[in-house]
Formats: sequence, C-alpha cells, structure tokens
Amino acid sequence: MLRLERLGALAATVLLVAGCGGQLAGTGGGANAPIRVDLIGTFSGQNADLGNWAWNGVKLAVDQANARGGIDGRKIQLERLDDQGQPTVGTDLAKRAVSDHAVLVYGSDLSTVTLAMIPILTAARIPEITSGQAPAILQQGSSYIFLDSTTSAVFDQTLADYLVEKRHLTSIAMITNNDAYGKGEHDSFLAELTRLGVRPTIDKVVTPDQTDFTSVLTEIRATDPGVLFIGAEEVETGLIAKQARSLGITATFAGGAPMGTPTYIQTAGLAVAEGTIMTSPYLSNDANAKTRAFAAAYRKAYGQEPELHGAKAYDGMSVFIQAMRRTPTDLSGPRLIAAVRSIDYDGLLGHFKFDEQGLGLHATQVGVIKDGKVVPV
Amino acid sequence: MRVARVGPGAPLLLLALLVLPVFLDLYTAHVAVLILLFVIVAIGLSLVMGFGGQVNLAQAAFFGTGAYASAILTTAYGWNPWLAAPVAVLATCLMALVVGLPALRVQSHYLGIVSLGLAVAVANLLTNAGFTGGASGISKIPPLPFPGVDLTDDYNDYYLVLAVLVVLVALARLIAGTTLGRRLKAMRDDTVAAAASGIEIPYYRLLAFLLGGLFAGVAGVLYAHLVRYVSPDTFGLDTMFLLLAMVIIGGQDSIWGAAVGAALLIAARNLLAGLETYQQLAYGALIVATVVFAPRGLAGLAAAARRRLAWPWPSLPIPVPSRGSAVPAAPDPPTPFPTPASAVALRVEEVSKRFRGLTALSQVSLEVPVGEIHGIIGPNGSGKTTLFNVISGVDRPGGGRVRLHGRDVTGRRAYQMSRLGVARTFQNLRLFHRLTVLENVMVALDRDPARAHLRYLVAPWTVLARERRRRERALGLLAEFRLEEVADEPAASLPYGRQRQVEIARALAGRPSLLLLDEPAAGLNAAEQEELKAVVRRIREAGVTVVVIEHNMGLVMSLCERLTVLAHGRVIASGTPAEVAGDARVIEAYLGREARDREAARP
Amino acid sequence: MTWVLQTAIGGLSTGAVYALVAMGFSIVYRTMGLVNFAHADVVMIGAYVTVTFFLGARLPFGLSLLAAILVTGALGVAMERVLRPLESRDLNLMLIGTIGFGIVLESVAILIWGSFGTAVPTPIPNLPLRVGGLVVTTYQLLILAVAAVVTALLFWFLDRTKLGTAMQAVAMDRIAATAMGVDVAASNALAFAIGSGMAAVAGALVGPLLYVSPGMGASIGIKGFAAAILGGFGSIPGAIVGGLVFGLIEAFSSGPLSAYSDLITFVVFALAMSVRQTGIFGERTVDRA
Repeated sequence: MLRLERLGALAATVLLVAGCGGQLAGTGGGANAPIRVDLIGTFSGQNADLGNWAWNGVKLAVDQANARGGIDGRKIQLERLDDQGQPTVGTDLAKRAVSDHAVLVYGSDLSTVTLAMIPILTAARIPEITSGQAPAILQQGSSYIFLDSTTSAVFDQTLADYLVEKRHLTSIAMITNNDAYGKGEHDSFLAELTRLGVRPTIDKVVTPDQTDFTSVLTEIRATDPGVLFIGAEEVETGLIAKQARSLGITATFAGGAPMGTPTYIQTAGLAVAEGTIMTSPYLSNDANAKTRAFAAAYRKAYGQEPELHGAKAYDGMSVFIQAMRRTPTDLSGPRLIAAVRSIDYDGLLGHFKFDEQGLGLHATQVGVIKDGKVVPV
Repeated sequence: MRVARVGPGAPLLLLALLVLPVFLDLYTAHVAVLILLFVIVAIGLSLVMGFGGQVNLAQAAFFGTGAYASAILTTAYGWNPWLAAPVAVLATCLMALVVGLPALRVQSHYLGIVSLGLAVAVANLLTNAGFTGGASGISKIPPLPFPGVDLTDDYNDYYLVLAVLVVLVALARLIAGTTLGRRLKAMRDDTVAAAASGIEIPYYRLLAFLLGGLFAGVAGVLYAHLVRYVSPDTFGLDTMFLLLAMVIIGGQDSIWGAAVGAALLIAARNLLAGLETYQQLAYGALIVATVVFAPRGLAGLAAAARRRLAWPWPSLPIPVPSRGSAVPAAPDPPTPFPTPASAVALRVEEVSKRFRGLTALSQVSLEVPVGEIHGIIGPNGSGKTTLFNVISGVDRPGGGRVRLHGRDVTGRRAYQMSRLGVARTFQNLRLFHRLTVLENVMVALDRDPARAHLRYLVAPWTVLARERRRRERALGLLAEFRLEEVADEPAASLPYGRQRQVEIARALAGRPSLLLLDEPAAGLNAAEQEELKAVVRRIREAGVTVVVIEHNMGLVMSLCERLTVLAHGRVIASGTPAEVAGDARVIEAYLGREARDREAARP
Repeated sequence: MTWVLQTAIGGLSTGAVYALVAMGFSIVYRTMGLVNFAHADVVMIGAYVTVTFFLGARLPFGLSLLAAILVTGALGVAMERVLRPLESRDLNLMLIGTIGFGIVLESVAILIWGSFGTAVPTPIPNLPLRVGGLVVTTYQLLILAVAAVVTALLFWFLDRTKLGTAMQAVAMDRIAATAMGVDVAASNALAFAIGSGMAAVAGALVGPLLYVSPGMGASIGIKGFAAAILGGFGSIPGAIVGGLVFGLIEAFSSGPLSAYSDLITFVVFALAMSVRQTGIFGERTVDRA
C-alpha cells in the first residue's frame, strides 16, 4: 500500500481533489540519515519530573555520542514525545514511533505506560528500554524490552533484608498504589516479608491519582506500625508520608527508588522525609570517578544536581549506543537486541549484563535520608 | 421528503473515506481509526442530548463499559470476541438504562450532575477493581478473528470501523429524520406538550439513554479489540468533556455535525503533538466562542451558509418500497377513536386540587355530553387551567374522579390521556419550537406505541414507508388550516395567530374524541376569531366534543352550548349561556369585575 | 462510637470545603441562573495564587489568601463578562461553555505554573490534638474556623448591607429589582466575584491537605456542585448543609471500602436525588409528564 507521509485525516477530501502531495516515507536507511530514537516520557502532570530526568540523562548520552562522531558517521536524532502519564497516549505514541521508523524507543517512565506499549513495539521489532521497574514488564515474554535499572523484586529483597534482618523491624504496614509499579512493589515486598516470616500489620491499596489518603491512613494508624512501606511514584509517596505524619503516624517510612529523589523530599517536607529508608542503585554523585564525571557533565548541561533517574537513563542509553556501535551497518531490532545482550557494561548504577528477559542490573543499595540528603547506610 | 433523499455529499464523502487510507502512514491510519470510533460515540451522545434533551454526562463511561466488558470477557474468561461483542453491547445498554433511571425523576442540571456523579462512580470502579486490572488496565486483548483479514492491522481496522460507522450513521439519520427522532426532539422542546401529544415521556427518556448506550457500546467493543488495550484514563472526565465539545461544536441536533466535531477534535488532539498546552487553550477558547457566537455549531453555520448561497444541491431519491401516489393515504395505525359508549363524553366528579396549601380546585363537578361545545369561564385564578391540567393528566387530582365516556381515568398520566382520546391546547402556546410546522403535526398524528420502534432494528425500510404516509396525512390536515405553505418553517417563526392554528391542528392530528382548548382566541383579531368559531364548529361536526376556556364573552356566548362558571376553584354556576348570564352569583362574582373587559373585547 | 465521631470530624472538615465551593455555585446560579462549571477551576486558580504568594513571595498565609480572593474576584468579574451571553441559553450550551472556560483556565494555569503541581506545607503546625480518644488536627480546626467566618461574612453581607440586599432582590425578582433601580449587571458581576472569592478560600484551604495542581479542581468542583444540588440549588443554607452532608456521606462511605468511596458516595447521591428531586431545601420545578 502506498503510504504518504503525514497527511492529516482531515485533509482527505481536499487531497482527493488536489491530487497526491507529500513525500514518500523515509525508510530509515540512507547512508547519512540520522538514527531516529524516540523518547516517550511523562512530561506533564504529577509525574513530569520523571520525564524530564529521563530526557536529561538520555540527551546527555546522545549528545556525547554525537560529539564523538555519532554511529559510524550517523548522528542520533532524539525525539521527545509526551505520554502525559496516560497508558493510552503511550500506545498512540508507540504507533507513532513505529510509523516514524524509530530504531529505538526509550520509555516510558511509568511501568503502566511501558506495559501498554510493549505489544506494539515488540510486534514492530523495535527495542524498548524503560525506566519502569515493575516485574510484570519482564513477564511479557518480549525479547525487545530492557530495564535501565532493576526490578521491584531486587529492590524489595534488599530493603526487606535490611529492615527485618539487620534492623529487626518487624512491625511493618504497607500502602501501595494499584498501577503497574505500585502493584509490583506490593507483590514483591509482600513476598519478601513472607519469606522472612513477617506479616504486615495492614496492607492497603490506593490509586495513582489519589491525593487524599486520610481514611486509609486512619486505618493504618490504628495498627501502630513501626515502619510504613510506601510503594508509589515520587509525588504520591511524598503526599502519603506528609499526610501520615499529620495524622500522628510516627512510623519510619521505607520504600523504593522514588524516596531517593528530591521530589519526594520536597513533597513530604524536610522534617517528614528525615530518616526515610530507601533502596536505590544510585545513592550519591560522589560514589566514584564515573559518577563524578557524569555529575559534572550533567550540572554543566542542565544547571542542576543529577539524581537516580537521570543516571539510569544515561546508563540505559549508553548501553544501546555501545550496541549500535557494534552493529553500525544494520540497526534493525533483532541485530540491536543481540548486540545489547552481548555487552558487559560498567555504568553509574553498577554492572549491566542483560539476560533474556531484559534485566541487566541485579543489585541495589540501601540509603537513608539524613539532614535532607540521601546517604548510604 | 428529506429522509428519503441523500445529496451528492454522502456518496462522495464515502468514496473519499474509502480511498483515504492510501494517503495515510501507519500512525495517521491509527488516528483515523480513533476518529471513526469517536464519531460513533459522539453520534450516540448527540442522540441522547441533542435530540432527547437528556443531559447525559456519562457517555464516556458507557464507552468504557463496552470496552471493558468485552475486554474482560475475552481475556479473563476466554470468550470468542464475536460472542463477547454483543454481550458487551448489551451490558452497555443496561448500564445506560441504570444511569438513565434518575432521568425519570430529575432533569436538566440535576440530571447533569447525577449522571456525571455516576460516571465518576464507574471510573472509580474501573481504577480500583481487581477484575478491571486497576490503574494498569487490561492488555493483550485478542483481536477480532476474521478469516483472511488481519484485524491487528490499522488499515484493515479502518475499513471494519468504517463499515460499522456507515451502518450506524444510516441508523442515526433514519432515527433523526423519522418518528423516533421527532418524538425525542418534541420531548426536548416541551415535555408537557409532548406528553399531551401521547408521547410516553418516561420510556423516551430511557430510550434516549439506551440509544446513547448502544452507540457507545458498539464503539467501546471495537475500541477494545482494535487498540487491544484498555485503561481507565481513556474513559474519564477529559474524554467526556471532549465528547461534549464534539457535539456542541458540530451542532447539537445534527448527526453530521457530531461526526465532523469528533473528527476535528480527535485529529487536532493526536496530530498536533508537542503543543498540548496551547492546543488545550485553543480548544477551550473554541468551545467558549462556539457557544457564544455560533450556538448551533458548525451544522448551524453550514445551514446558514447554504441558505445564503442557495447552492443548487441536487438530491438523489433513495428507492423506497412502494413509493408514489399510488399508495392511498391509509390510516397508518388503526387510530384509537373510542366509540362513545356513553352519551356523556366527560364527567368530572368533585375534583379537588391543592398546591402547597393553596386551593386551586374545590369539589368541582361538571358533565359534558358527547358532541357539545362546552365553555368554562371565570375570573383569572379561578382554577380553569388547573381543571384542564387535571382532565388532561398534566396534574393529578387531590380528590374526586374524572370519567371519560364513562370510564374512570382519574390520575392517568398525560400521555395516557392523549392515547385515550383527549387532546388539548395551552394557554401560553406550547409548540415544539425547534420543529417545523409539519413536524409538530406529525408528532401528534403518530399514534404508534413505543414498541413499534423495534422496526428500526428489524425492518428499517418500513419506517420510511410509514413515514411517507404519515406525512401525506399531516399535509392534508395542514391544508385544512391553510398552513401547507409554511409546513417546513420552524414553528417558532410563525406569527402568533398562525401558531395558535398550528396548535389546534396538532391537537386534532391525534384524532381526539375530546378536545380541550385553553383560551384559543387570546391574541387573535376579529377575523381570526370568526375563523376560529367556524373551525371549532367544524370540529364538533366531525363528532369531537369540545371544552373551551375563554375570556372573550362574545365568543363564548355565541359558540358554546353550555357553560360552567368557576370562581376561587369552585363551580358557582352552570347552564346555557343565557341562564348563566342571568345568574346573580355570576354577575356578582364574575361579570361585575369583568364587564369592562367584555365590553372592550366586543368587536 | 469513637469511630463514628472520628469519621464525622473528618467528614465535617472536608464538608466545610465543599460547602464553600457549593455556596459559590449557588450564589451565581440564584442571581443569574447560570450553572458555572468553570467554578471548579477557579478553586484551582485560588489555590495556586495563594501558594504563589505564600511560598513564592513568602507572605503570611492570611495575606496570601486575601490576595487570592482579590485575584479570583477580578477573574470572576471577567468571567461574568465573557459568560453573560450564556445567561438565557439552554443548559447544554451553558454547561459546555463554562466547561470550555474551565479548560482555558486550566491551560493558563499550566502555562503559568507548569503541569507538575506543588505540595504545600500547612500554614500552622499541623498537630494532632487528642480529645478523649478522638484525634482532631489543628489544621482541621483552622479549616472549620475559616469556613465559618467566611460564611458568617457572606450572611452579613447579604442581609445587612445595601449591596447585599440589592443582590437578594435580583435573585428574587429580576424585573422588580430593575424597576427599583438595582443595576442587574453589576449585581451579577458582584455575585461572580463573591462566588469566585469563596472558591479561592476553598482552594487555599485544601491546598496544604492535598496537592495543588492544574487538575485539582475537577474532583472538588464536582463534589461541590453535587453538594449544592443536594442542599437545594440556589439556596445558601442549602449549600452549607449540602456541603456538610456530602462530606459526611463521603467520610462514612470510605470507612470499610475506602477505595470505593467515590462509587458509594455518588450512588448514594443519585438515589438521594431520585427521592428528593430538588434537594434538601428545595428548588421547585414542576416536571410531571
């Protein structure tokens, strides 16, 4: 079927009269044509920080690669698409990426959106690297999906071990949201607690767009927990913590990577966030020479402090840039994913070696918020 | 007639839509599929709101119900999509009926917030429940299996949806242009007059919701299996407002308008990426501008432009079975013309009615023999119109009985009274103001019970044939009133006197056995009054009993055979005009004060 | 019993916010018969303006709130001017026209403040006070106090001031009021300004409880509107009672099945409206067919 580029559906009748216009679609081939990479991220709404961090990280990696001559002389062209945090918009944008012959899709930041996009991108054999962490992402049976960090299973095993084995905290309440990320956190953390022989004092589920948690927190308060495990995105986690304190819940807050971000600390408030225990593979910009170099470049480019999400986006994109360099003449999906799996990559977050399911990073660390800063325990 | 003709626009448009995908890349093809789906949902909303006047803010929730029902049945229970589809559409219709139930009790903004609330409730369920997949929704919904055609391909999807859309647009246009649409519009324009014309208001309110549900359900099922992913965000408030905007921008009571509105907004939303905020700003401003400057939407603008330019749009006749003048204007349904079983057409027995402690009627009794022209007079506020309201079923009496040809009909509803042969006019004209003169009459002429609308699904072609016969009869009736040349004018555009005539013609169209005229001469000049008298006498000649409320004493005295006089909600006298005129109580309570008016009103 | 009382306290404090929103809906409706759906977004604008002055300019909360009332009041006057042509139009147009205006407000908010949203610290230390087994937070008390003061001011204005009584006159009989020399247009603008100011108070009060974002108006707006209808549309006492009752329904329905609180609340609301068509205090419209 003859396909012409970008003709709005609206113009149909006009076009019929006017005859055919437009250009034939690019096949993504040309010798010096740029390599199209689409970043589908959440740039608006409550989770907009995630999209912006991912963009910063990916853009930095791409700019550095392009400055060094790109891939075999071809530049990487990064396209920024806003999924608004809505999975349906994500599916539309995935179709758009297929239509535009993207070589790689980075996204989305939200596991829910990522899950919705997987079938479309996999069917089109376009590799997708996501900053989502829900274990469900790896269970879709797709060989085209990759995580730029690790899954809730790994995060929560580390966290549960620390809380229960090391700190002997066993009075733990759970509150998670019911999107893919929250559900992954819920299932993983509960499984780890069960493995350690601990039963949560209470286990409550909320929705991702909720902002009032009074009734749930009132129930939680009645169980008087020592630790409140929160499994939700940055802002929601902060709101839950803030409202929990104002209802008189004195428990220590604990959770995954969202708690290591400035957004969480800002939303909850310094006093509330103090003492929060979280796991994250990237606790400090000062960990080693690599992170210091990254942090310096990041600050120079964006004038702000990098954090976990920018770092992991940088790592994820860097792995793929390496893979592209291994097979520069054929950037088709099957070649690219084979190349990615053949790479051993030492990144900012640790050592990446991707398995069949798409998991590359297998370890994380425990940190705590002290004086408003995340520090390793 | 309008319905049976299609301009060259429709086939050309269809042709354009058929070749369109050739010019589309994969993404725009996907957007085109979404557009077609939203056109279906928007047309459904246009039927509920634009035609039926029911403020339905749950259309997006209906869309979601259809999509989720089919998604759940096929993924969790492994049903074949073709089996799940009709069940899901049915489930959506059921949901629409449930959400529509409050419409029986509340209307306008009350209904708006109740339906919006129920939509929020549905969204809440979708986001929270386990069986709906919570906030993550449901993925991996199977495509519709179709031998030889891959329905995971957006280009093929496009043609499938287009085929369904053509059928549904045809159905919607058929509804819009014939009896069902006319009844919905009549109900929207004036509920009381619609009920008095025999329209079963409760059924039609639910029916309006049912139609909305049907269209949303079909679109929802297609959406689920073509996009193969559903999540709550697709069916929330934003979508609802988008749908509303489609219908308003397109034009509230135009099927084409809703379709164009949907196409415009979805195309803008999906093709102008990167401009979300400005796009949203423009979209909001466009809505405000439309409402303020072009309240009839694009359809209204197009109609105005067409009137001004007077393009010679040729019309192609659609072949309609048994078309032509060979068909005799047979009475379409056997009209229930009750043969007078008793010599008394109307008997009111000690009827009382109070409004919030105010006595409007107190123990009123009267008797009208078959074939009489009976007058009811009395000073303002004496309860005359309330009496009509009680007799015609608009108000329920607080006490007493109303008998029609000997049959106890106390407390029947207005539409029931209409179907029992009672027709009426209103003191302050209640025409269906956005319908044409012809349509006004056709509404009342049409005595089909609501269940006859099954024809639209079972045998749509018979609808057109019946419609044509009905139209011929209506034109005949209009001719009697010399209204045929204004048949296609909006009723509200006629001069007052003509509107009064239309109202009487409408009342007669239902072939009543009892006609209640509420101040028919008000606002008429002398010549028109004479004509009115002649008309009323002719009506009586045809065997119809007439009860008339009138202030114009000259008219009453010369027209009526007997009179009943009301004052302060009580009957103070009754008898022939001469008897009443000589009654001391009448002179004291009534004529004394009204004498001056009477003198002034005399020609 | 403790649970009942505790839930009631929570319900009343959210109910007070709904009541403020509901009064704004009602005061505009009764003076000009306009159902103003953009009201929900005025709540949001009010919250944002308060936050901007409170966090950005570091003004005291009270002053920030005052500034927000002035800004939204001016916005209300502007809105009346734009929406005036809708006054006599049919409901569908009014509905979508005001929703359209709300969408404009929302996108303007995104352009000014971004789509991300802001968490706001409570203006006073939010301490849980324990009274005989019940927990009342200081901020809940502040909400109730502010709402009560604002309501009292409104009543004082409507009953005791010349402008207020003129507005009441317009609400009762527009033609008679015009005949007596009341400027109806000015009165409408004033109604809009007052309604919008009250929306700002509501927005400012919920901001620290929830999260200030461009989309925050939707939920509060719908519930405030439902509260106004529940109380009897156009009635000020109705709006107060409706707001409190709605807050209570919501609080109690979120007890055992907190996730389904919206579902239960709105189904109860639909049933209540089906039983009592014109709300608790009633706005009688005859509709029998």
